[in-house]
Amino acid sequence: MKFPIALLAATTLAVTAKPDGAQLFTTNCSACHLLDQMVVGPSLVEIRGLYNGKPDDFVKWSVEPQKKRPDAIEMPSMVHVGEEGLRAIYEHVMSISKGAEEQEQQTGDPFADSPVQVKRPQVQRIFMPDSGPAAIAVALDDGLSLCWDAGECRFRYSWNGGFIDGFPYWKGNGSRLAKILGNIRYVEEDSPFPDSGQHKFYGYRMEDGLPIFKYSLGDRKFTEKVLPMENGGGFTRSFTVSPPPSAPLELDFPSDQKVDFSSDKGTWTGSKLKLSPAEAAAFTINISFK
Amino acid sequence: MKSRFLCLILGPTLSASAWTENFTFEKIPNPTGIDSQVGAMDTLKDGRIAVAFHRGEVMFYDPSSSSWSLFASGLQEPLGMLVDDDGSILVMQRAELTRLRDTDGDGVADEYETVFDDFGMTGNYHEFAYGPARDKEGNLYIVLGIASNGAPMAEEIRGEFSEIGRANREEMTNRATWGKNKGKAGRMYSRAPWRGWVLKLSPDGSKMEPFASGFRSPNGIGFDAEGRLLITDNQGDWRPTSPLYDVKKDRFYGHPASLVWTKDWDGRDPLAIESGELDKMQEPPAGFFPQGELANSPTWPVVVPEGALPESMVGQTLIGEMNQPNLVRVLDDEVDEVYQTALVAMFDGSPLGKGNNRIAFGKDGSIYVGKTHLSWAGETGIMRIKWNGESFPAIEKIKAIPGGFALRFTEEIDPETLSTIAVESNTYKYHKAYGSPKVDLQQMEVRGANLLSDGRTVMLDLGGLKEGYLHAIDMTGVRSADGKPLLGKKAWYQVVKAP
Repeated sequence: MKFPIALLAATTLAVTAKPDGAQLFTTNCSACHLLDQMVVGPSLVEIRGLYNGKPDDFVKWSVEPQKKRPDAIEMPSMVHVGEEGLRAIYEHVMSISKGAEEQEQQTGDPFADSPVQVKRPQVQRIFMPDSGPAAIAVALDDGLSLCWDAGECRFRYSWNGGFIDGFPYWKGNGSRLAKILGNIRYVEEDSPFPDSGQHKFYGYRMEDGLPIFKYSLGDRKFTEKVLPMENGGGFTRSFTVSPPPSAPLELDFPSDQKVDFSSDKGTWTGSKLKLSPAEAAAFTINISFK
Repeated sequence: MKSRFLCLILGPTLSASAWTENFTFEKIPNPTGIDSQVGAMDTLKDGRIAVAFHRGEVMFYDPSSSSWSLFASGLQEPLGMLVDDDGSILVMQRAELTRLRDTDGDGVADEYETVFDDFGMTGNYHEFAYGPARDKEGNLYIVLGIASNGAPMAEEIRGEFSEIGRANREEMTNRATWGKNKGKAGRMYSRAPWRGWVLKLSPDGSKMEPFASGFRSPNGIGFDAEGRLLITDNQGDWRPTSPLYDVKKDRFYGHPASLVWTKDWDGRDPLAIESGELDKMQEPPAGFFPQGELANSPTWPVVVPEGALPESMVGQTLIGEMNQPNLVRVLDDEVDEVYQTALVAMFDGSPLGKGNNRIAFGKDGSIYVGKTHLSWAGETGIMRIKWNGESFPAIEKIKAIPGGFALRFTEEIDPETLSTIAVESNTYKYHKAYGSPKVDLQQMEVRGANLLSDGRTVMLDLGGLKEGYLHAIDMTGVRSADGKPLLGKKAWYQVVKAP
């Protein structure tokens, strides 16, 4: 294809225009700084309060930012924008924030009363305290809740008095844990089952709003269903083991907890339960708060 | 207040646009009581739109009744979804790929089956998980984000801890001393398995193959119409501006943190390797989204189906964008079998807004755009965009040719306006610092802009293309034969290979 003679008399020149503060702001700042509310970084209203009349300080901070706010991340250095560009951004920010007012900060969880949040029972995967990161929180009923760790395939702890406040996690990008509402009543530091090497999580099946966890420990597949006792007095854990063990199964529950253990099968010695192979195929443990 | 902000910030950069002449933009009603940040979307066989929200609800929107129903709940930060032929739904959440199944036919999922969870988690907030994308053989691809030194690791992690790195495990987990140690961690880190990797899973999830490494915050994975695995990533350290990759097996895509999980890795701290050495190892992006102009945080790629856009755009890839108020349309090209792209804004200057995280298509061709922010800039809810079926002037295809580009438009072009086309080129610096300014920004000489006899193809003579450079083709002044400006006025073509 033959091209006609140049239509545009443009030469190969480096582009050197005066920095456009608005454009530079859009490129470098607008993802994190809104006019009148804090998102990732402080609002322009707040920045105006800090830096109005102090362009040198503004440039200095932008080139060498530090972590100042405990709940915010540190800004990356804007050194690549260059001093002239940063001064243009300063002018732009001071100009558009003039006369603007900070929006009132919203406090508390605006969705705390949503039908999904208040439903009982409820299952919610979220980062939980004192658990591995693949945690599952379960509200068994209005009062009793538990944390189950899908990464380790084991029950972690239960509490009563409420469920979780997930807002610290949900309000941002997940850098905070959910809060437990209520009091911890029972904790297992380890799985009660003998160490069988590998474990694998298969998920859960919902039955009447509650999960039946499925996992394997070694070569055996387990299901575990937790139900609340009436009157908030504790909970029951029903297990199936498939195939059933070939030798008696010994479960070692914590001895330092303020609970009473009982079961529909097997023999207890303190907090240890011994089940025959036939009994171990399906059994229920009762854990009552003292 | 928000609209005032948009007006103030963006007002000067917007010019009159005709998107609203060809498309309607309508916010669909949010479900009651739900935090309407959208993490994943797909379309059910019956035409309802499946949406996964920030707090883990999976809900179906029925366009015929504008109503919502709850299918599942309690997932953790779902960021990808695939509706399967049998009606079950694959959802990627933080800890696992999950299959949701309604086994008793009551319209609500009762089976939450773990399809794959054999990857590490340090508990760091930035370890988002994305996918799945499915290839023609049914294999699934997921991609795992790496951690940010905005926070340390949790004390308890899932999976093996990599000892490689300047900070030891105690330093990586101690919140009290994090301010002092975070610099040693690297801006972004991969201390648990497969963070920063694409993993290929067998159709049932039982087998996993580490597929490709080098990702940072890859909030977009999908196959294009030609079967290429496209992944977007976000500007940051080792990401001069946000890239688009055509991902192939066993290749490395630029962010070094994930290299520690490479088979037979030599034990070096990848964050201490010179950028020159890493540069030789990395695959070049097939496209670059210039920061602040086109996209700061590009999102999910989807293929345009029949009826959503003009026929000439069917089969093209559309990508969402969080921080600029537009989507991005991908114009494919290939030079010597190297895939490279020009990227064009879609719906810029329209009522679309920001936070465009996920895209799904209705049976009637409606484009549903799900929004989020996760405390970064963005919005919430879902915008439904409907094309009126009429043609509009736009760039359809850009082909690299010896000396320049062949531009094909959707409509006949006024040759008198071609002299206004201007082209700039720039490259970027690949380094550990956050982002990069444009490097070697040059105005290119447009030696000719010649309209072919079809009336809609323009041969643009630039006297040569520059490999490794982003070519910004500004067509703001171009008009159709009947005097209309283009919708999508600028295209950014990344020349990986010049013909």
